[in-house]
Amino acid sequence: MKQAIIIRYCEIHLKGKNRGFFEKLLKDNIKKSLRGIKCTFSVMHSRYLIEDFNETDLEIIESKLKKIAGIHTYSIARVVGSNLEEITNSSLELFKYKKGTFKVETNRADKKFTPNSVETSRYLGGKILEKYSENLKVSVTNPNTLLYVDIREDGKTFVYTDVVHCMSGMPVGSAGNGLLLISGGIDSPVAGYMMCKRGMKLNALHFHSFPYTGQAAKEKVIELSKKVGEYNGGIKLYVVSFTEIQQKIHQFCPDEFMITIMRRFMMRIAERLAVMLKDQTIITGESLGQVASQTIESITSSNSVVKMPILRPLIAFDKNEIIDISRKIDTYETSILPYEDCCTVFLPKFPAIRPNLQKVIDAESKLNVEELIDNVFKNIEKIQL
Amino acid sequence: MIYLDNAATTKPSKVAIEKALVFNEEKFFNPSGLYQGGLFCANEIKKAKESILRNLGCVNNEVIFTSCGTESDNTAIFSVVKRGVFVTCKGEHSAVHKSFLELKNRGLKIEFIDLNEDGSVNVDKLLNFCFNNEVNFVSIMHVNNETGAINDINSIAKQIKSINSKIIFHSDGVQAYGKIPYKISNDIDLYSISAHKINGLKGVGALIKKKGLHLSPYIIGGGQENGLRSGTENVFGIKVFEYASAEHYNNLLENFNYVNSLKNEFINGLNKTNFAIISGENSSPYILTISAKGLRGEVVMHSLEEKGIIVGNGSACSSKNRFSRVIEACGYNENILDGVIRISFSAENTLDEIKNSVSIINETVENLKGILNK
Repeated sequence: MKQAIIIRYCEIHLKGKNRGFFEKLLKDNIKKSLRGIKCTFSVMHSRYLIEDFNETDLEIIESKLKKIAGIHTYSIARVVGSNLEEITNSSLELFKYKKGTFKVETNRADKKFTPNSVETSRYLGGKILEKYSENLKVSVTNPNTLLYVDIREDGKTFVYTDVVHCMSGMPVGSAGNGLLLISGGIDSPVAGYMMCKRGMKLNALHFHSFPYTGQAAKEKVIELSKKVGEYNGGIKLYVVSFTEIQQKIHQFCPDEFMITIMRRFMMRIAERLAVMLKDQTIITGESLGQVASQTIESITSSNSVVKMPILRPLIAFDKNEIIDISRKIDTYETSILPYEDCCTVFLPKFPAIRPNLQKVIDAESKLNVEELIDNVFKNIEKIQL
Repeated sequence: MIYLDNAATTKPSKVAIEKALVFNEEKFFNPSGLYQGGLFCANEIKKAKESILRNLGCVNNEVIFTSCGTESDNTAIFSVVKRGVFVTCKGEHSAVHKSFLELKNRGLKIEFIDLNEDGSVNVDKLLNFCFNNEVNFVSIMHVNNETGAINDINSIAKQIKSINSKIIFHSDGVQAYGKIPYKISNDIDLYSISAHKINGLKGVGALIKKKGLHLSPYIIGGGQENGLRSGTENVFGIKVFEYASAEHYNNLLENFNYVNSLKNEFINGLNKTNFAIISGENSSPYILTISAKGLRGEVVMHSLEEKGIIVGNGSACSSKNRFSRVIEACGYNENILDGVIRISFSAENTLDEIKNSVSIINETVENLKGILNK
């Protein structure tokens, strides 16, 4: 049995004159993702078609398609010759184990094909009922199963019933470059995924503080980055040591501002790295009010040290909503591994929830900010995932 | 590298592996095979069992080989007694602790008996409970893997049997076998041991069972191990276990005294202002649990790793929670619980290594305190 995968996109339809750019990008992303898998790839009237693959590779192809931003849905279709006999046989096979109601929808790109679309649907419906009348009934308004028959101009017809929803969004690479701050938690990988979905190409930055956090914590971040990378066509993870800065803040600044000042350092480091990497924005997994460092005052304080825009795709998400997405993108189980991440060791008992910007600046003035940041950049680890 | 996490696992013995290599290279046969090679292997497994029984001075027992200490504990807990009241203590390894929680899930009554400060079981409370309740099964570990505390299990089992001779007594002997001089008494019904804690390989353990005690198998199949634990035997691993055991038992007392001197050297060298010593007087020389008061054990552990010293952070299997459940049950406060580190020795450690590590650990903790405590 010959099969083909029909891939559809969504938002690109809305594009005007630059639509070609988006279509090509998505096409390239799909091809890149399927590299190494034997198959042919072609464009078919605003849809893409994958054919000539080994049936044993189908599962892996599907799993890859589900992680490509810009793909709205796909269907796995049986490919038959455009004649009523082959179309009927393959339709009947598709309904062998189906129960409930159904409807047939025919689309004729090949207008020379007879009978016409309505008649073909009616004919096939009749045949299906004839064979499976015990299990199936027709419902035109709300069928359990919809049989699609797509009669193409090249003598091929696609017959299928299932439409699988993918991540939608825009192709990665269509919306600029960003630097994702990734911790070992639940939120930041989700934030990364959300930006990939909107077409941004990401690099990732992690602040490691050995010996206050161990190798296991770093491995966890590598694992999470790899998972985000699957939506991003791979990802480069940059790991910098945050130990000296944490120790200095702890020694010289009031406990209550520990986290606020840490966040400010993180933003400065991120901006400097982003400029080096030609990234246009910093992305964080912050959600308003989730913890002390994510109040509007704290956000204001960390925004004020950089010029670059900081995008916070989860800002208005509840924790449960974020968890739902993290389960969907398969980062949750890794995120909840208990290795401490960067923040916890120096966590003060009573952090400032609404830090006063001037007080923070005063507290920070005891530190040689530039020198501390220069030191961080002396030793950056880059991991290609 | 100075390796001081020998209670987590030990370096496999080269001598034992080389001696057993023949079972990988030539005598690779399935012990269930009825041809000569198979019978030979079956016989070698029998010899390994006899040797292990001799090590423990057993006369009335048999050996069931398993895949690990955890499997041995699970088999003991789930396969002998099917109903009634199950009693253990708060100091057990997760292999026992979580199995008891599972018993509870299945609707059985369980009881965790309190610990003394050193991690040993409070024997009075245990006996009282057994006296006042219809108890069916008791599991008390021999050497506590987190504090090194030694429970006098022969005496405990004897007293329990005198309350009710029908109570089945199990002990997790994983940290004792090959390390502590001990002979299994007739009151011990089940005793778990593991190969990789005494320079054997990971993936081999055993359950020592009193003859005649009925056990309904946990793993069912080809009927190996007298039908008590199916699955083709790991002949190579079993032989390495036998040979590694022999090495340990040939020098048991000598090693015991030597390692004890290492432990004392370590304790004497520690800066007592910064450390609390959790392991008590009556503890295994192989395990020393201390706390870098006010610091996080994990941070100390990583700092030491950076300097080439490998120590354990509580129990290696349960390091996922912030505080050790067991040390908490010994009654320590947060300040001490946070800083727990387990140092565990082997006879291969040298006195120089110990002197070095103790001075490095003192210095490391002093430095960390300087940074963390303003």
